[in-house]
Amino acid sequence: MGNRGAIRLESLTRSYGRVVALDDVDLEVRAGEMITLVGPSGSGKSTILRLIAGLDRPDQGRIVVDGQDVVRVPPHRRAVAMVFQDYALYPHLTVLGNLLFGLRVRRVRRAEAERRARAAADRLGIADLLDRYPDQTSGGQRQRIALARALLREPTVYLLDEPLASLDAPLRFATRADLLALHRELGTTTIHVTHDQAEAMTLGDRVAVLDRGRVRQIGPPQQVYDEPADTFVAGFLGSPPMNLVPGGGVLGGAAGLILGVRPEDLELDTDGPIEATVEAAEALGSETILLTRCPDGTRLTVRTGPRPGVRPGEGVRLRPDPGRLHRFDAETGRRR
Amino acid sequence: MTSGRARPPLTAWAFLAPYAVAVGLLIVLPALLNLGYAFTDHTGLTRDPQFVGLDNVRRMLSDGFLLDSVQASAIHLALAVPLRLLAAVGLGLLLAAPRPGGRWFRVAVYLPTVVPDVALAVLFLWVLNPLYGPLNQLLGLFGHPGFTWLSDPGTARVAVALMLVFPIGEGFLVVLAARRLLDGRLYEAAALEGCGPFGQLRRLTLPMLAPVLLLLAVRDTILTLQVNFVPAYVLTDGRPANATLYLPVYIFDQAFEFSSFAYGALITSVLMVVTAVVITALLLVVRRWRVLR
Repeated sequence: MGNRGAIRLESLTRSYGRVVALDDVDLEVRAGEMITLVGPSGSGKSTILRLIAGLDRPDQGRIVVDGQDVVRVPPHRRAVAMVFQDYALYPHLTVLGNLLFGLRVRRVRRAEAERRARAAADRLGIADLLDRYPDQTSGGQRQRIALARALLREPTVYLLDEPLASLDAPLRFATRADLLALHRELGTTTIHVTHDQAEAMTLGDRVAVLDRGRVRQIGPPQQVYDEPADTFVAGFLGSPPMNLVPGGGVLGGAAGLILGVRPEDLELDTDGPIEATVEAAEALGSETILLTRCPDGTRLTVRTGPRPGVRPGEGVRLRPDPGRLHRFDAETGRRR
Repeated sequence: MTSGRARPPLTAWAFLAPYAVAVGLLIVLPALLNLGYAFTDHTGLTRDPQFVGLDNVRRMLSDGFLLDSVQASAIHLALAVPLRLLAAVGLGLLLAAPRPGGRWFRVAVYLPTVVPDVALAVLFLWVLNPLYGPLNQLLGLFGHPGFTWLSDPGTARVAVALMLVFPIGEGFLVVLAARRLLDGRLYEAAALEGCGPFGQLRRLTLPMLAPVLLLLAVRDTILTLQVNFVPAYVLTDGRPANATLYLPVYIFDQAFEFSSFAYGALITSVLMVVTAVVITALLLVVRRWRVLR
């Protein structure tokens, strides 16, 4: 399975009326890789999934799976399985009925279909839910049912559309690990869409950041975080986002540039070169986020340890890590 | 709260009271009176009906016209309910998806429902006219000589059912609304599994709409058995050869034209029993099909 499921998107374009959802997108996904598409809503990430699944057709461009252009191949003949954001379980069928649905449509014999469905249910730990209806199961269980249904397609590509978005925070954390483990076990190419940057950082070998129908940057998550290709990526990945100062300002004058520094790369230091006043302090337990304002009006966000001992209204001095300053072109926003 | 089960507060009962009073005065009381009249010699003209025991029941058991009437109603039910449901469901599903001009088609489907019963019947007198009616002219285009629709028992039954296929607006609207509530993603998920349009209809749409369809079937059964009086009265008045002498028509004839109010009351009770039996049978069949959870 390891060398199947390579996907290449070539100058993919799709618009809906006047809205350009995808604008000349090129993207290469290696076989067996788990890649995360991240971006704000309307950035085109779900459109990419729908095009690969065959639920929609591009205006232009090619979708090449394992060397074959599949644009004209109907969805069920593509070896892809999709897990929808709200799981799209059939409400009138039991969990077993949901798992059997696709097998029965593909005319797998009843006994064989049931054997496979039970095996998939066992694998995902939902064997004791088979007689229930979807509305009698919890959010996490529903997600497993949807995954089991996808598993039964035996696809070469999994498409996961915001698979964790409908789960509450603690469950999301656990499920993230489960998804990774499942991917490692199956080794199947997986494309995962999210707008949550914590998921983007943790799930996936590589992350592609999208904005307004274009891929802004693609690479391993840490690399994209450390070296954002432009100001959009810099502002989108990371919470709180990177401080961006046009003209350099308090970070050191730099004509024609935008200087950026991440909140964690600013240090409280009584000898620091930057003078600022604390406007607000958000104590998050393990860390504190300080919102500060410099005399020239520049706002800087600082990530510091718990209990920093400063209060709103107090003056502080900040020292940026000189090795971790980011320089962007003021005109294009591109990294320099 | 001291006990586990809360009692509805007095205000709730107060709000329900007007409705309860109306139901009591306008439905329960007349129904009980009706049952009482069934065992009298009341003509509907005099004030002092006398109790006559089972006289009316004996009359009913030897009434050939009543048999014709029950038969006419049964055939009409078997023709009209499936036709009307098929039309309402078919058109509702067809026109649920947004498409250009769709709203005009939806208006067109609903429009006949707004037409008063009498007007619809008069219109159909023209449509079914054997000499100049458009229906026979349409058949003529295919080389068919046409029918004398309302003077042959068989075609008269079909004609009334045909007319009632048009006022299906409510059922159509219910199907339309129910279909639009179904999640589009379910259809995408099915498409990914290789389920085509027909498979989606069979495996998704119809099962998910089953509760609504059952409701429509029950409602249409009641409607078809009881409320088809006006059009049938205008169109055929029970003729020819009692082919369209549906129970409501026969009841009206007995109670208000032949001065047998008491006998009409008895048949009304029979109609109610027949309706209950048909609906119970329907529900039992549906339960055996296991389409409802």
